[in-house]
Amino acid sequence: MFLPDGSQDQIGKILLKKQHVYQIFNDVAVSRGFKAIETPVIEYADTFTNPHVGMPFQQLLKWFDREGAIEVLRPDWTTAIARALMKLNPKESKWFYQGSVFTQDKDGIESRQAGIEMIRTAPIEGEIETLCFAIDYLSAVDVSDYVIELGHTGIYETMIAPLSLTPDEETKLRQAMHDKRQDVVKDLTQNNTRVQQQLLDLIDAYGDVSILDRYKVKYQDDDTIVTIIKELTQLVNVLEQLGIDQTIVDLGRVKQLPYYSGTMFRGYLTTSGEECFSGGRYDKLYQQFNQSIQAIGLAFDVDVLAGSVQVEELSRVAIIASEETHVLAELKRRTMTDKIVDVVYSEPNEKDYETIIDLRNEGAK
Amino acid sequence: MKPVIALTKGRLEKQFLNYYQSLGYDIEPLTDKGRKLRVDTDDFQFIFAKGPDVATYVQYGIADLGIVGGDILAECQPDVFDLFPLPFGACRMAVATEEGKVWSNGKKRIASKYTGITKAFYKEKGESVDIIKLEGSVELAPILGLSDAIVDIVETGNTLKENGLVVEEEFMQFSARLIANRSALKIKREELKPVIDRLKPNGGNEHD
Repeated sequence: MFLPDGSQDQIGKILLKKQHVYQIFNDVAVSRGFKAIETPVIEYADTFTNPHVGMPFQQLLKWFDREGAIEVLRPDWTTAIARALMKLNPKESKWFYQGSVFTQDKDGIESRQAGIEMIRTAPIEGEIETLCFAIDYLSAVDVSDYVIELGHTGIYETMIAPLSLTPDEETKLRQAMHDKRQDVVKDLTQNNTRVQQQLLDLIDAYGDVSILDRYKVKYQDDDTIVTIIKELTQLVNVLEQLGIDQTIVDLGRVKQLPYYSGTMFRGYLTTSGEECFSGGRYDKLYQQFNQSIQAIGLAFDVDVLAGSVQVEELSRVAIIASEETHVLAELKRRTMTDKIVDVVYSEPNEKDYETIIDLRNEGAK
Repeated sequence: MKPVIALTKGRLEKQFLNYYQSLGYDIEPLTDKGRKLRVDTDDFQFIFAKGPDVATYVQYGIADLGIVGGDILAECQPDVFDLFPLPFGACRMAVATEEGKVWSNGKKRIASKYTGITKAFYKEKGESVDIIKLEGSVELAPILGLSDAIVDIVETGNTLKENGLVVEEEFMQFSARLIANRSALKIKREELKPVIDRLKPNGGNEHD
């Protein structure tokens, strides 16, 4: 029998690694004062496709319920948690979650995430706490070869404000910025050469943090951009003080979902180039509930992390027993809490065990 | 590790090599490669693949950069940075049909290798058509009655002409493009930036 693309059964080491990644995440989140939250796997499509959230309808796994409403498999944690928190209205503001999300894209349907959401948390405080969480957690799972990238929705948005684009033009320009497609950005902005030059430079404004200094000087007369650059510089300094000296920026990064509204960050594993976490600020997300609530969060890609963590395997012990000595073997097993213990009735393969204890004749004594 | 550049085999490969040589790079290892699909030069490792596969290798990070036709990118929509056009490989996308074709009032049948582009084009026009996917020699389809028209790239127009077809409408222009893997561009910036700048037409002196 076949499985759909990207779906897979898992046994053995990769499963251990995944459990390890989830377990450590749980420990770190709890120790930092986060409370667990879980939302259902099945929700209404509209929760994710309404204009405030704007996930592409085609990407969702969907079907009709008995009343003809469209239901989906959870495609995104952040949106689902926002909906849940508005309904439950708890007083806590720091939440963590772990589990699968489902979307139709090139890498298959199911992917596993572990993440945090902080609401009612103002800029800088939230950004620092979120980034500190990421560093703390990656260190706890012993991942050290990574680079953190910082970006901000506001730079691009400030620059295009004078263009008064139609929504369609805005979508095209945003996509061209997302693809760093210089010729298209040039074409779409030809009516305003000043903005055109700014955006063409912004496409290229990725790399080490010295770009922040360049932008600070270049845009010294623009208060909005100066404030953003200051914020990002402050975060870079925090990361440096925590021993993360390889931070990069992409000032030309644009948001992919409409509710993002501030700092955006992500982590790349240096060796494979895979994205191991991403997140940012989305103060606009709660506007759909007529609420003004500041929010920030990030999600780790559990599949990517599980592929790169090492788990220490416990040493294996075999106790050879018989019907008469099985209880004795069980009592012995209870004393060996830091080992993997098999109780067997026949000679085990020596290669599979570091220690073999034979209790077959113990009962006779 | 040297940066990996994926090249589209065939016609685009020759045009790229001419361009690459004009920038002062030594192309000898790339022209004397025999049937090898992977070649190391002093600066880079090159891999040779079909256009859509170049996009795939770049998307999955096997190659850091790729040289591929804009038509392939429009059709396959890979998740990559689509940096800029290169000064070769120019072509147009066109609807072509038999000379003197009398259109019926029914739903048209369009044959194409580019089913994605064809669908988007007619959707934008607000016209429903049936699309038939072909792998090549699409000019045959209207002649043999498989379809009413074709959507295909046109360079000189000679193939169309020799097969008795005429361009009904042109709607997109393409050239070869430089694409980059989304994370490689960021985390290998130091290695990739010099070659990207050098490949940029006009030496990248357009701005700043």
